[in-house]
Amino acid sequence: MLQFHQVHKAYATPQGPLPVLRGIDLRLAPGESLALMGESGSGKSTLLHLAAGLDLPDSGEVCLAGRSLSALTEPARAHLRRDTLGLVFQQFHLVPSLNVGDNLRLQARLAGRDDPAWSSELLERLGLAGLERRYPEQLSGGQQQRLAIGRALAPRPALLLADEPTGNLDEETADEVLTLLLALVRDTGSALLVVTHSPRVAAPLDRCLRLSHGRVDDAAITGAT
Amino acid sequence: MLTALATLLSHYKRHPGQLAMLLLGLWVASALWSGVQAINASARDSYARAEALFTTDLDRLERRDGEPLTREDYLRLRRAGLPVSPLLEGTLEAPDGTRLTLIGIDPLTLPGDSAFAAADSAGDLTGFLTPPWQTRLASDTLAALGVGASEASGATPRLADGQRLPPLALAPALPPDTLVMDIAAAAALLASGETLSRLVTRPGALATAPEGLRLSRAETLASPGQLTESFHLNLTAMALLALVVGLFIVQAALGLALEQRLGLLRTLRALGVSGRRLVALLVAELLLLGIIGALAGIFSGVWLARALLPDVAATLASLYGAGVGAELSLPWHYWVGGLAVTLGGLFLAGAGVLWRAARLSVLGLGQAQAWRAGFHRQLRGMTLAGMAVAALGLGLWAWLARQPPGEGLLAGFGLVAALLLASALWLPPLLAVLLAGLERLARRRPLARWALADLQLQLPRLALAMMALLIALSANLGVSSMVGGFRLTFLDWLDQRLVADLYFRPPPAQYHDIDAWLATRPEVAERLPTRRVDTTLRGIERADGSTSLALPIGLYGITPGETLRPSWPLLATRDGRDDAWDAFRAGDAFINEQLAIAHGLAPGDRLTLDAPQGQETVSVAAVYPDYGNTQGEVLFATQVLASRFDAPPGSLGLVLAEGADHRTLARELGERFDLASDSLVDQREVKRIATGIFERTFTITRALSALTLGVAALALLASLLAQARERRAQLAPLWALGVPRAQLVRVQLAQLGAAALATGALAVPLGIALALGLVAVINVAAFGWRLPLYLFPGEMGLTLATAVGVALLATALPALRLWRTPPRALLAEEAGP
Repeated sequence: MLQFHQVHKAYATPQGPLPVLRGIDLRLAPGESLALMGESGSGKSTLLHLAAGLDLPDSGEVCLAGRSLSALTEPARAHLRRDTLGLVFQQFHLVPSLNVGDNLRLQARLAGRDDPAWSSELLERLGLAGLERRYPEQLSGGQQQRLAIGRALAPRPALLLADEPTGNLDEETADEVLTLLLALVRDTGSALLVVTHSPRVAAPLDRCLRLSHGRVDDAAITGAT
Repeated sequence: MLTALATLLSHYKRHPGQLAMLLLGLWVASALWSGVQAINASARDSYARAEALFTTDLDRLERRDGEPLTREDYLRLRRAGLPVSPLLEGTLEAPDGTRLTLIGIDPLTLPGDSAFAAADSAGDLTGFLTPPWQTRLASDTLAALGVGASEASGATPRLADGQRLPPLALAPALPPDTLVMDIAAAAALLASGETLSRLVTRPGALATAPEGLRLSRAETLASPGQLTESFHLNLTAMALLALVVGLFIVQAALGLALEQRLGLLRTLRALGVSGRRLVALLVAELLLLGIIGALAGIFSGVWLARALLPDVAATLASLYGAGVGAELSLPWHYWVGGLAVTLGGLFLAGAGVLWRAARLSVLGLGQAQAWRAGFHRQLRGMTLAGMAVAALGLGLWAWLARQPPGEGLLAGFGLVAALLLASALWLPPLLAVLLAGLERLARRRPLARWALADLQLQLPRLALAMMALLIALSANLGVSSMVGGFRLTFLDWLDQRLVADLYFRPPPAQYHDIDAWLATRPEVAERLPTRRVDTTLRGIERADGSTSLALPIGLYGITPGETLRPSWPLLATRDGRDDAWDAFRAGDAFINEQLAIAHGLAPGDRLTLDAPQGQETVSVAAVYPDYGNTQGEVLFATQVLASRFDAPPGSLGLVLAEGADHRTLARELGERFDLASDSLVDQREVKRIATGIFERTFTITRALSALTLGVAALALLASLLAQARERRAQLAPLWALGVPRAQLVRVQLAQLGAAALATGALAVPLGIALALGLVAVINVAAFGWRLPLYLFPGEMGLTLATAVGVALLATALPALRLWRTPPRALLAEEAGP
C-alpha cells in the first residue's frame, strides 16, 4: 500500500540544510495498521506529509498504491490523494463554510464516491447524528475530531493517515475517539498510519515504529512485520 | 497605558497588510478630497479677488452703436453731472508669453467701495496717479514678468514688446495675471489714444441710460463665483464619493483588525486594563493612524491639485470666463479642514468598532461562534438602513418635484447620494440571498457548492469592498453616460446652431457697407446676420394668470432663412414647426428652455419687455434648447430685434454657394475693407474650439471618476490581501483532500469574478438611474435645462467587464501567492476550527 525506500528530506534554514529524514525504509501492507512514534522534531509529521504526497523527498522514493509519488505531477498527486487517502489532522482542518453533514461528505463527493447510507451510518456511529446542520465552530473539540475522522473515512479510503488524532483531546475522550477510529478502520478495511506521542494510541495497532533523529530506531520496532 | 497601546499596535507588526490597507484607505480618501478642495479653494480665492475688483458689482455703460467709448463721451457725461468713471481694458503679453489683462482706472472717480479703491491709502494714491505711476499686481503674477517676490516692489520689468511697466506695487487682492494702473499710463501702454473700454458707475446711480448709450446693471452680470457654483459642487460631490469609498477601505481594515484582536483585548482586560481605557487606547490608535494618513493624503492632494489645476483653470476660463490662477492659493483653514474631514471620516468609520469594543464583555471576548449570527444581524440591519435611506431619497424626490426649476441643487445631490447609499447597503443582503439560492442549486457539485458556501463566509469581509466597487462602478457608468449623452446632444446642437460656413464680426462703422458688398457676391448664397441686446422682462401672461417682474434678460436675433429654419431645434411649438417659424418671422418670440422652465412658460404665453419706445408685448411661438447658456434668453428675427429693440449689429454668418472658395472671399474682403485676413472664421474652426472646450470641461470629472474606480479596486485588493493568510489556511484542507492547487486558484478567481459580475450587473441599472438623476435632476437644478438621457450599451458592457477585471486583478495577487506557497506550508499555517 505504502512504501518508503531510502527517503531523505532536509529543510533549508539560514544556517544551511537541516536534515529531517535520513534514509527511511518503510512498508505498510493493505489493511495493516502502524503507529509512528518519536520526540518532537524527530521527523514524524514530515514522514506523514511525504506519505500523503503533500511534499516530496529530496532523494529516495515514496510509493503509494504502487505509484511513485515523485514521478507524478502535482495535480496527479492531488487526484491520487483524493481517490486513495483519508487524512485526519491534529488541527482538524474542517471547512468552516460547510455544515457538519457537508463537511463529512466533502471528500467522498470530491472523489465521486458519495454513499449517503454510509455517511448516515458514520454520523450515527460518530455521535454526530442530529448535528448535521451545525457548523464546525459550533461543535466541541471531541465532536470536531470525530467529524474529521468521519470525513476521512466517508470515501472508504485504502489508506488512512492520522496525525496525532487524539492530541487535542482529554484522556477519556481520546480513548473513546481512538476506539471508534479503530473500529471504523477495521470495518472499511483501510490501512492505517498514525503519528502519535501516546503509547496508549500506539498499543492497539499492528506495529509501532519509533523515529529518532530522522532514522527508524530499529530497537524500538514492535509488533508483527 | 503606553505598554497597552504598544501591545495593541503590535498586531500590525504581524499583520502589516492590514496596516497598509488602513493607511492606504485614509491616504486615498484624504488625497482625493484634499486635492479637489485645494482646487476649489484656489478657484474661490481667484473669484473673490476678481469680484473684489470692479467689474461685476458696478453698472456699466457702452455705446449703442457698438463703437468704442471715447474720452470725449466721458467728459460730456461728467459735465452733465453724471457720476461715471472711465475704465480702459486691454491685453499685454508678458516675456514668457502669458497674456496679462491690463485695467486702467481713474481712482478719483471710481466708486469707492470696490476692494481696490477701498484698500488704497492716500500716500499710495499720489504715487498711483502721478508719473512714473505704479503697476498694481498680485504676487502670483510676478513669475510671468520674471520678477522675484523679494525684488518686486519698485521693479520695472519689460513686456514682450520691449515696453517697460511702471514701478510694481503688490496688491494681493487683485486677480492673477491682472495689472491695474492709472488710466493715463494704461492708455500709453495699450496705445489706445482717446478710446475707453467702458464707463462704470455705482449700482443704481443712473435711473436710465444716457442718450446713445446702453446701461448694463450690475445684477445682470453674473459673478464667476455664481456661474461656477455648480461646477465646484460637482467636483465636491465627486471628491465626497472618493472619500466615502476610501473610508469603506478604512472600515473594512478596522473591522478585521478588531476581529483578529478580540483575544488580545480579552487578555488585556484580564490583565487589568479597564474597558474604558481600552476604548481610549483604540481611540488613540485611530488618532495616530488618522494623523499619519491624513497628512500623507493632504500633501498628495496638494500635488494632485497642482497637476489638475491648469486643466481646471483652462476649463473655467473658457466655459465661464472665470480667471483662476495656475498657482495654488491655500488658506490656513484648508489644512485644518482637510485634517478634520479625514479624522471625522475615520472616527465615523471606526465608530462601529469602538462601540463593539466598548460593549464586549471579558468572557464573551474572543468567542468566534457568534460571528455567523452577528453577520445575519448585520445583513438585516443593512436591509433596514437601506430602506431608511431609500425613504429619505423618496422624500427628497417628492420635495424636489415641488421646487421651482433651478432650485434644490444640494437636495439633488442628496437624492443621488441616497440612491447610491441605499443600493450599496442592499448589495450584501442581495448577494447573500443569491449565494444561498445558488448553493441549493449546486448540491451535486461539491466544489461549486463549497465555493458558494465559502463566498458566503467571505462576504462579511468583502461586503464593504463590494459596496465600494458598486458605488464606483455606477458612478463611473452614470458620469460617462451623462458626459456621453451631453456630448452627443452638444455636438448635435452645434451642428444645428452653426449652419453657416463662415462667421464674421464686421467693424460697426463698416457694417452696412460690408453687408451690402457681401449681398452682391456670387460666392455668398445667404447672409445670416445676428444681433444682441439686453433688456428687462417686465411681465408674463400665462394661461393661468399674469405675473409682473423685473428680470434682466438677453434678446438675441437670428435670421430665419432657408438654411437656419430646417436645422434650428425646437422643443415645443404652439401650432407646429412651420407655423412657429412663420409667426417668428412675423414678430413672435422663441424662448430658451432655461427661461421656459424657470417661469413655467409654454408656447402661446406672452411676454412684456422693455424697449426703447416703451414696452413691447410679444407672443411665445416656441421653446428651443440652449446648451451653451446659463441664463434665460428670448429669440427674435434679427430684423424685428433691430426695429423694435434697437439692437446693434452683431456677427454675420455666411452660407457659401456650391463650390465657392472662402479663401478668395476672405482675401477680397480684406483688401476692399482693410480687414485682417483672419477676420472670417471657418465654422469648422468654431466647432473644433467649442468641442475642445467641452472635452476639457469633463477632463477632471472623468479623472475623478476613474480615480474613484481605482480606489474601489484598491479596496477590494486590500480586503483580499488582508485576509489572504487566513484564506490560504482555509484552502489547505481542500488541497490536502485532493483538490489540485491550480483548481483552487481557478475557483478563487471564479468566486470573486462572479461576485463582481453580480455587483456589476447591479451597477448597470444603478448607473442608468444615476445618469437620469444627473441629467433630469442635477442639471435642471444647476442650469435650468434638462438633457436627454442616452444609453450606451458599450459603456454598460465596459462596466461589467471592468467589474470582473477589477476583481480578477485584485484576486490575482493573493491567488499567485497561493500558487507559490509550498504545499506543506499551507497546512502549517493556522486554520480556524
